[in-house]
Amino acid sequence: MTPRKRYGMSIDIDKCNGCGACMMACAVENNVPPVPEAANDRKGITWIRVYRVDNHRAYPERRTAYVPVLCQQCGHDTPCVHVCPQQAVDVDPETGIVGQMPERCLGCRYCMVACPYHARYFNWWDPAWPAGMEKTLNPNVAPRMRGVVEKCNFCHGRWHAAQQKAAAAGKREIDAADYVPACVEACPTGALRFGDLDDPSTEVAHDAARPESFRLLEKIGTEPKIHYRSQRDWVRDIANAPHPDGKDQHRG
Amino acid sequence: MLPWIYGFDWNTGHIVFLGAFYAVLAAIAATLTAAAIRSLRAIRAGQTDAIRWHGDFESLPERDQVCRHVLTGEFRERQCPHAFDCRECETHAKLIERHPLAPVAGHEEDVSGMAFPLDRFYHRGHTWARLETDGTVLVGLDELGARLLGVPDALTLPQPGERTHANGAAFHIRRRNADVRVVSPVDGTVIETGSAGRGWYLRVKPDSTGANAFRHLLRGSEIRPWIEREIERLQLALTAEGTAPALADGGVPVSDIAAAYPAADWDAVCGEMFLEG
Amino acid sequence: MDREFIARGLQRSSPGRFLLWILPWAALLAFGLYCAGLCLAKGLNQTNMDNRFAFGLWIFLDLTVIALGAGAFLTGFLLYILKLDELRAVINSAVVIGVVCYSGAVSALMVDVGQPLRSWFTFWYPNVHSMLTEVTFCISCYLTVLLIEYLPIVLRNRKLRDVPSFLVFEHKLHNLVYVLAGVGTFLSFFHQGSLGGLYGVLRGRPFAFREGFAVWPSTFFLFILSAAAVGPSFILLTTKLVETLSRKRLVRPTVYSLLARVSGLLLAVYVLAKAVDTLVWINRTSPGHGFLASQYYSWKPFGTWILFAEIVVFGMLPALVMLTPRLRAHNGWLVGAAAMACGGVALNRFVMTVQTLALPTLSFDSFVSYYPSWQEVGTFLAVVAYGVLLYSFSFRYFNLFPEERELRLEAAVHEEESALAGRY
Repeated sequence: MTPRKRYGMSIDIDKCNGCGACMMACAVENNVPPVPEAANDRKGITWIRVYRVDNHRAYPERRTAYVPVLCQQCGHDTPCVHVCPQQAVDVDPETGIVGQMPERCLGCRYCMVACPYHARYFNWWDPAWPAGMEKTLNPNVAPRMRGVVEKCNFCHGRWHAAQQKAAAAGKREIDAADYVPACVEACPTGALRFGDLDDPSTEVAHDAARPESFRLLEKIGTEPKIHYRSQRDWVRDIANAPHPDGKDQHRG
Repeated sequence: MLPWIYGFDWNTGHIVFLGAFYAVLAAIAATLTAAAIRSLRAIRAGQTDAIRWHGDFESLPERDQVCRHVLTGEFRERQCPHAFDCRECETHAKLIERHPLAPVAGHEEDVSGMAFPLDRFYHRGHTWARLETDGTVLVGLDELGARLLGVPDALTLPQPGERTHANGAAFHIRRRNADVRVVSPVDGTVIETGSAGRGWYLRVKPDSTGANAFRHLLRGSEIRPWIEREIERLQLALTAEGTAPALADGGVPVSDIAAAYPAADWDAVCGEMFLEG
Repeated sequence: MDREFIARGLQRSSPGRFLLWILPWAALLAFGLYCAGLCLAKGLNQTNMDNRFAFGLWIFLDLTVIALGAGAFLTGFLLYILKLDELRAVINSAVVIGVVCYSGAVSALMVDVGQPLRSWFTFWYPNVHSMLTEVTFCISCYLTVLLIEYLPIVLRNRKLRDVPSFLVFEHKLHNLVYVLAGVGTFLSFFHQGSLGGLYGVLRGRPFAFREGFAVWPSTFFLFILSAAAVGPSFILLTTKLVETLSRKRLVRPTVYSLLARVSGLLLAVYVLAKAVDTLVWINRTSPGHGFLASQYYSWKPFGTWILFAEIVVFGMLPALVMLTPRLRAHNGWLVGAAAMACGGVALNRFVMTVQTLALPTLSFDSFVSYYPSWQEVGTFLAVVAYGVLLYSFSFRYFNLFPEERELRLEAAVHEEESALAGRY
């Protein structure tokens, strides 16, 4: 029996410059197909989406920040898990990762309706890659078919590979360095960190405990495992419910 | 769904939910099975005719389901609970014991120019049964029934040897668009078939000729009030078919009513008069 | 030939006229099936739904249609279990409406999911904590029950009745119909509720989330009540519509009055419960989750007017009209109130589905809008056309209103009496 983990992520918004490298790395790692031409920005798939937020002030007081939003890996009453009619979503008790089984998914999209973070995506089209690009596909990750839902699973393929490596070496536990999601790896500013939240020695556990750390929509009680942080008050305010006067906000 | 399928937990939620589901499935399946088994039994027991008659009877408007003792004025209001089978009716047995029918003079009743001989019993579906001296029973259409159907366009009679049941179909007559099953007044076995021209349609060897055998049929002084009511019903049916002015008050139905009202939906009129739903 | 299948003594239009009535609906059905075919063959990219608006027109209309179809279970319950015998006059029509609504909704759902061939997974790997599982199980069971209830109506057809085994089976099945009515009531109770629960459990959508009793949020009970309230109204409306279109009297005024009373009473209870629920939600549930209720209504066009319309205009008002004997007796008020009650439930389902999804939950996300694509509208029109066709055929060939013939005879009596009165 491997010791139980509670994987989570910390994101330093103050470090994020909105470059989108995480989105790119994620798509490559997880075989997310390019968006068809007919798609709009609400029909494409990206497991991690970088939103641009601002402080609702006019120039020169205007300030912007970038917020990467991925599956928040809710740890309590996980909304998507208990709405799925056929157990296509589950929480792995060993890792705390919310997993999506596309081959079990009916495509009813109830989980997408349930998700407060809009972090779930539906395959509106058949996945298709331009000729030749299919050679770049990651052999460790199965592409998903049309009509099913998918989302971030903290690079499940990488976790699996790390486990195999540990097993081959005769170890019961994976080496933390072997399991890092693609987005964390790709972030040029080091804004994203990943690790076991239950292990106080990890950077993420430390980050999560910092006073400027916050989680999105904490009050609804889903115990998300993505911990954001910022030194700026107005940025920390994004954790709360929407304000109607902020209608002019843009999305990245 | 099943205990050996992935994801099945023996927890309360699962057991309550699936228990309810299987209970519902069982209830639906049991209902269907029970209905199928009962149907098979009923068909084997030869209850088809009785079921058809009950269906017909239930689809009659309430005022056409009245007890025969309402016709004679003994009750002001009473629905027949036995589908016109007075053999099963205790109220009827008591009533005729207490107040036997008043005798009627002569050998036939004349109602609005139609003759109803008193030597026979009448079914409310306009057939009569007459016990012959040889113990057989002749079955025919009464005068009003005959005038409604006139000269039949087609006639389907049972074969000699076939069973016929009281309130079941005795024979079928087609006239214009009306396809009428004529109700049999008695239980028995057909031994000979007649025709419109002979004045009777079936000769039946009755299962019984005892005191109770004809109890459900009208007779004697019951005939006049019944037929008077029937003429009212006919008038109503004709009016409903948009053939007003129908029979004038006290008017005499013509000998071939069907021919007299070519515009009427004869099927509907006959369905009404021969108690077929 | 055609005439032989029509019940004795019922007046139906000529085959030619019937064909003329059928044709446009059949054309609409064909177009709708083409739209549904596009969605199935090419995928849901044919719709305007998207990752933010994951549920669209179909869910809203499914919820509405199923609420309107509640008349079938309620009438069955009142007639067979509570023995309100007057309702025999509309039970057949109610069952047909139920069949139309449920089979239509299930068909639309089959187009709505991404992988319809996997529907059986829900039965095989049920997640009993999901409201959608409850809905799937109950609706498929109840549709089966409705089809079995529909069977006697079909078998009572004049021509089919000539087949002895049909006749006998119809009789024996009809004798057991109270079992089906009971099962149907049980199932309806749970799936109408679970449809409400679908949204009420959404912790992640504070606009829809409600507290409740045990595993059921308050919307579970509100949906049962509101569906039961509009079921009779919808039967009243359809019957009036069929009376107008066929130019016949089909049921007695007392039946309308009874339907309106049942509808009005349940609607009044519903409106009261809904008002209390709304107050609890505004003052406790929503703020408890960090969401101020006023915020929901500041996104145009969904102002507080929608709350007012739902509870007062389309709830309290029709309930009062239907409960007031003098107003109820007036055809215009009666039909208007029933239509408003149905409209109110449609509005409630709209709010629960569409408004819930339009509202942002993240502070940096925006209020989104959605308009269905023509393929979505077409697919729903197929359901409407299918319903009209099934009902039209049922009305023509089956005896949906047992009192129709009798009412014609009664009308004849009146005619005669007034003619006689004129003569003397």
